[in-house]
Amino acid sequence: MIVLLWSLFPLYWGLNTSLMSTGAADSVPLRLYPHPLYGANYADLLSLKQSGFSGLASQLQKALLNSTIESVGSTLLTVVVAIFSAYAFARLEFRFKRLILVTTIATLLLPAYATLLPLYKIMSGWGLVNTYLGVILVNASGFIPLAVWVLYNYFTGLPRELEEAALVDGASPLGTLWRIILPLSVPGIAAAAAITFLFSWAQFLFPLIMTTDLGSQPATVTIAALYGPRLVAFSVMAAAGMLAIAIPGALSLLLNRYIVTGLTAGSNR
Amino acid sequence: MSTASEPRQSSGTPSNPVQHGRPSRWRGRTVRIQRQRLAYVLLAPLALFIGVLTLYPTAVTTVEAFFRVDALDPHHGFIGLRNFRNAFAQPAVTESFVNTVFYCLVGTILSTLLGLWFALLLRRRSRWRAALLAIVILPWALPPVVEALLWSRIYDPQFGPLNWLLKGIGVIHTNQVWLGSNRWLALTLTELVQVWQMTPLSVLLILAALQLIPNELYEAAAVDGASLWYSFRYITLPLLRPGITVAMVAAITTTLNVFDQPYILSGNATATASVGLETYVVSFQNLDFGQGYALSLLVTIATAAASLVIMRLVYRRVEF
Repeated sequence: MIVLLWSLFPLYWGLNTSLMSTGAADSVPLRLYPHPLYGANYADLLSLKQSGFSGLASQLQKALLNSTIESVGSTLLTVVVAIFSAYAFARLEFRFKRLILVTTIATLLLPAYATLLPLYKIMSGWGLVNTYLGVILVNASGFIPLAVWVLYNYFTGLPRELEEAALVDGASPLGTLWRIILPLSVPGIAAAAAITFLFSWAQFLFPLIMTTDLGSQPATVTIAALYGPRLVAFSVMAAAGMLAIAIPGALSLLLNRYIVTGLTAGSNR
Repeated sequence: MSTASEPRQSSGTPSNPVQHGRPSRWRGRTVRIQRQRLAYVLLAPLALFIGVLTLYPTAVTTVEAFFRVDALDPHHGFIGLRNFRNAFAQPAVTESFVNTVFYCLVGTILSTLLGLWFALLLRRRSRWRAALLAIVILPWALPPVVEALLWSRIYDPQFGPLNWLLKGIGVIHTNQVWLGSNRWLALTLTELVQVWQMTPLSVLLILAALQLIPNELYEAAAVDGASLWYSFRYITLPLLRPGITVAMVAAITTTLNVFDQPYILSGNATATASVGLETYVVSFQNLDFGQGYALSLLVTIATAAASLVIMRLVYRRVEF
């Protein structure tokens, strides 16, 4: 009960506030459940017509689209790079293997600030500020090491017999990766992809400096900008917030089994 | 980490030709070299990302911290520690270090204790555990920006449920301004939002370690008449050290780099700004990249150092 209350109360309160008109939300005594139930905050934010909040709806919609494109892009790039690297670490023997693997994992301990300013300069040098590609590259560079670690742990846990049989039959190493390892690794890949997607969606600091307009700004940055001056009524902000957590929330509830195993993989070594 | 390799693939020294190789061994060697080449091809994208977008930028941060860097003036000169001195000449920067240490201490202690407590609660296998875990990880899975937005309402002086709850149980009699009055209170409440976000990860890591402990140990202890506290203190805790270490390192890395929560809850207010927030202000509002590099380097070193200290202090190898 305590665990449930602690985990859900802030989310419940946001939902509660978002389902009331500003008058009802900002009234004393507090209403513990939304009454009268009021859906207009959501209807206005989701409507395709320009609504009363000075283009707030179209801003949020564009930002959510940006978040989706950037998170899907970062996830695809990260998972593909991680699959190849994790396969090399798990199944091939080569010089400096341990060194490269340890370096990769060690970068997990580097905070964002270690790379913040140089990455900004690199991206502006490449003309990638305010582009999807810029955000995707920065995200991928941050999340690839964890995805490699998750997949490496998964691949090393698979039995080798099938691959060896296939190799004896003349299959190439890449053939075994494609036809044997990948089909067996769907849970591991789902874990790596879900974790990367959630991280990408949650990103704030890097997009804050890398995106200055709605061309590529994700929802986190737009919501912070809308909330900053405290001009938008909170019930509307809460509805915007709930819309911004809908996709990662649903994904996390749906794939929680894979996320849990992915996050704890290898933690006890 | 398993490095077990089949003899067929054992890494030789390719630069050293096998003089007396029979044809079959030659064939083995070509396969091996081709595998090496394949490995490097497969790792090339990883190397590019880590090299160009992680290690190179880290090196730039490290070096540039000691140089004069001006967005408008391309001249770079070595100036030793002046960036650091100039940064610390600003009270806001000094304050942000105090704040960050406070965030780190409160956040790491709270998230580890809560993580341990919740993991013990969730330990018992039941039909509901999978569903419970799915809900427990929610705060971890959602963007901290939105979470801070939702929590800002909880702390709201007029319409926040925190005032309502505390008045209801008689702890306070008038509404409090939670984030504006007392600095240490504001810091604690800001960190609480982050604790809420990162505790799920601690729960998962500690729960995973908990499930590795064989039941026989507790049975044996029970036969010997050990109390619950005794078996917790002398069986559970020592065997949880690896899990707790990982959870604490994750918490330290997260708390030392806190940005979103103070940014959303209090903007640039000095009273709650973290070093990360000051780095952002110094670099992108004052446009002093030199000082920005200096502060970035200090955060990076602090993160690595604190993680290493925790690993030394808490980690013990355990075998079952």
